[in-house]
Amino acid sequence: MEITNVAEVVDECIQKNGNTLIPVLQDIQSHYNYLPEEIFDEVSQKMNIPLIDVYGVATFYKSFSLTPKGKHIITVCMGTACHVRGGQRIAERIARELEIEPGETTSDMNFTLETVNCLGCCAIGPIIMIDGEYYGQMTIQKAISLLNEYKAKLKEEEADDSSKS
Amino acid sequence: MQNNGKIKITINNQSYDVENKLTILHATQQNDIFIPHLCFHPELSPYGGCRLCIVEVDGVKGYPTACTTQVKDGMTIRTHSKILQEMRTEILQLILSEHPSACLICDEAEECSDYQGTIRKVGFTTGCRWCPKDKDCELQKVVEYLKIDEIEFPVYYRNLPVEKKDPFFDRDYNLCIYCGRCVRICHEHRKSSIISLNNRGRYSTIGPAFNQSHLDANCEFCGACVSVCPTGTLSEKTKKWSGIPEKYNSSICSLCGLNCDIQILTKENKVIGTLPLGDPHLTGGELCVKGRFCLIELVNNPDRILEPQYQFPEGLGFITWEEAFLKASDKLKKADGNKVAVYLSPNLTLEEIVAAKQFAQQVIKTINITSSVLTNNLIPYISLAEKSISIEKIEKSESIISLFLNGNYNYAPVTLAIKRAAEKGIPYLQIGWINDTTSRFASHHLTPETGKEKEFVKEIVESFEKGKEVSPEISEVMKLFKDSSSTIILGPTILDLTEAKEILRNIEKIIKLTGSKLFVLNPYGNLPGLLSSVDLKPHQDILDKISKGKIDSLYLIGDSPFKKRPNVNFIIHQSPFPPSEKLKPDLILPTATWSEISGTYVTLTDKRKKLKAVVKTSEKVLSNSAIFAKLAKKLGKQELKFNKKELSKLIPKKLTIKLPEFNSKPKKNIVQIKTRAFPYTLIQEKNLYTYMGMYLNQLIEGLREIEPEETLIINPIDASKFDIQNGDNVMLKSHKISKKYPVVLRKTISPGFIRLITSNKTFEFETNPCPVKIRRVNV
Ligand code: SF4
Ligand code: SF4
Ligand code: SF4
Ligand code: FES
Ligand code: FES
Repeated sequence: MEITNVAEVVDECIQKNGNTLIPVLQDIQSHYNYLPEEIFDEVSQKMNIPLIDVYGVATFYKSFSLTPKGKHIITVCMGTACHVRGGQRIAERIARELEIEPGETTSDMNFTLETVNCLGCCAIGPIIMIDGEYYGQMTIQKAISLLNEYKAKLKEEEADDSSKS
Repeated sequence: MQNNGKIKITINNQSYDVENKLTILHATQQNDIFIPHLCFHPELSPYGGCRLCIVEVDGVKGYPTACTTQVKDGMTIRTHSKILQEMRTEILQLILSEHPSACLICDEAEECSDYQGTIRKVGFTTGCRWCPKDKDCELQKVVEYLKIDEIEFPVYYRNLPVEKKDPFFDRDYNLCIYCGRCVRICHEHRKSSIISLNNRGRYSTIGPAFNQSHLDANCEFCGACVSVCPTGTLSEKTKKWSGIPEKYNSSICSLCGLNCDIQILTKENKVIGTLPLGDPHLTGGELCVKGRFCLIELVNNPDRILEPQYQFPEGLGFITWEEAFLKASDKLKKADGNKVAVYLSPNLTLEEIVAAKQFAQQVIKTINITSSVLTNNLIPYISLAEKSISIEKIEKSESIISLFLNGNYNYAPVTLAIKRAAEKGIPYLQIGWINDTTSRFASHHLTPETGKEKEFVKEIVESFEKGKEVSPEISEVMKLFKDSSSTIILGPTILDLTEAKEILRNIEKIIKLTGSKLFVLNPYGNLPGLLSSVDLKPHQDILDKISKGKIDSLYLIGDSPFKKRPNVNFIIHQSPFPPSEKLKPDLILPTATWSEISGTYVTLTDKRKKLKAVVKTSEKVLSNSAIFAKLAKKLGKQELKFNKKELSKLIPKKLTIKLPEFNSKPKKNIVQIKTRAFPYTLIQEKNLYTYMGMYLNQLIEGLREIEPEETLIINPIDASKFDIQNGDNVMLKSHKISKKYPVVLRKTISPGFIRLITSNKTFEFETNPCPVKIRRVNV
């Protein structure tokens, strides 16, 4: 994948957020879907923050990714409350279904699987989050059918795309 | 209750008056109460990472860390309750569960040390007995204090590869306790910001961004991180297996004109390292890579000459000193004094210089004394330096302008002063093509148009003199000059430019017109001392005389300007280091040097700095003064004294730099400007890293890596346009010349520029700067 318009994108994100690093990185990430290496020098120079500090922040927070992510991001909670209610098993099953490990992206770039330690709504755990949407009281069955829904949606989009072209 | 700004607190049932705004840890330290700590550093921001310094404070929930909690009036603190010690023990065990700690809890740790002869030099560390920091480690001390003898947690070895590829220090992060001291000293004290704590939790790593090497990340190799590391994670390549020093001796660094104060670490009559002043485990210091890592490699260099040698018809052979003195006096007796040239190194001490002068004038009877550094460009440069302010004043200026400064591996006290000043809000403007450690702090970075460097400074002068209209770039400079009293920092790269003299002349005018102050960086250790003690002849004059046959003998004292033997009758090479291979001197006399002799250096602002003898040399190596004394006697001048007392009488009391007039005709220099066909700018630089006539990079591998010679240094952005990688070969073409070079990629050079360092006397390409184009060569 080629990374284009680095200077423009970074400029725009800085203009919007002022000199605060995290929101700038968040916006850049939502533009490219991850934080490509190319943006780091640009951000460092334009915001006058040492490169290493930009990098340190980007690698510290789990919500930033330095590798490209899939179209859909599935996040399984592994916090204590979700864990005791089977979060771990749900994650394992999804991993098996997608044939990837947590932290990885499928080779067709459709799904990325992640785990976190607590999404902050333990009461309705176990929880999975897909593209920012929360799904509570998960079971393995429910998770698989959710996954299938997304897969079906992707197929439709693909068909649309190919009919267009 | 407050009395003169102090507050009352209670620690362990005893009350103390302490200053407000202290942390609990500082307050306890001031009152000799020991709380264990690992991540704390007195000059760095509190971090609260190791959690060993936890205390109990009445009315505060939990166990706050003493290093991050401020004292408050009336606070009641307990530092050593049973529960605290138990928790500390547990915390330390957690730290140890990820640290190779077999030896720390082994019953036979002591006996093992005693019987362990030579097996310490191992590739990686499995326990203290195999660690470079053994017996000098803060973790060991805390373990001893808390009396840990077992680890209740499962142990985990990180199995990270030991990082050995960068020069000067190795890194074994399997030993790291993530105290963050290295990161903080690099950011806060050195303001270099090269390394950080990356990633998180179990996956935390310490290093530059994107796993770059330190070299690629522009690390200055100042070694501050190495000094403050409490464990064996960071270790100096040259010192790692030397053990604990017996003595810390104060002295100075002789590798540039700043003459930084240092301590020399010695053990068993050997120099095992150098450090900046201060507590050896805490000092971040203000040294550059040369003072921190290169001095030791110089004195202990395997290339040093350790016995006198003579050029016999059948080749070079060792002789005794007695024979050496005979041969030398023989030659000097027969020589016509006027036809002998004496060369002096700017690294000699004042005492050595006046001894050599006395010997040259009264024994050899010559006036031909010179130094090969005294080139025709250096003379106007150093004459400007007479106006140089002292280093302390840099930070006090209202604005700072650096001209052709390359401070990455050099002049650390100056770059630190600039960075500190800029951080306080003092405007800093950098002019030049180097992207060094100060660049991030510059409010503006200007690069004069290629071939128009002279016009650049001239425009400033004319605008002042005649109110001439200027370009927006220059009006930026003018603004600084007009609004504030500026300090100009002048770097020696200017010496290499084709139009150096004209530029220097204009800088002099600018200073007169604006009343700015000046700080001139002097690359040669004791050049001011040399220039104020002896009336030197310009080097070019001596060279002319040699070629005309008016000089037929050379006495080289720590100076080694010739790559091959000039046409003379005889040469004495007197130095700690060997002559270049083709010089073929008749006589080689090995001398003692830095750390082996005591003496005085003097800075441009007439500060006298003391060099101390801290180790003894073998009896086959003599000091320069001892050699002169012996020879003088042999030549019938026993009345001349070369002892310390007599020599110090000859040393000028006040620094007055005496510069020769140079009467060589001005050459017509033609500079070229950048064109579409030659879109890059080549900057050629003479290697300025010298000591006693040697190029440091010939002796020190690490320096070769950071500032490689005969190699094109280009910015990664330019490299990517041609798909050039580190180590590729590139054809460099100017209007007149084309030549192939290997390439290294560095962010230290601005895009559009190419650096080429050489130790040749003349440059390969026709002008400097020189417009060029590049092409990758496939091999
Ligand atoms: S050597 Fe100096 S510049 Fe390099 S990482 Fe260590 S502290 Fe930073
Ligand atoms: S390398 Fe040393 S100073 Fe840096 S965090 Fe690790 S133990 Fe601390
Ligand atoms: S700045 Fe100069 S004197 Fe100081 S350590 Fe470096 S070379 Fe030595
Ligand atoms: S543990 Fe899953 S939301 Fe808190
Ligand atoms: S010294 Fe206070 S937490 Fe490390």
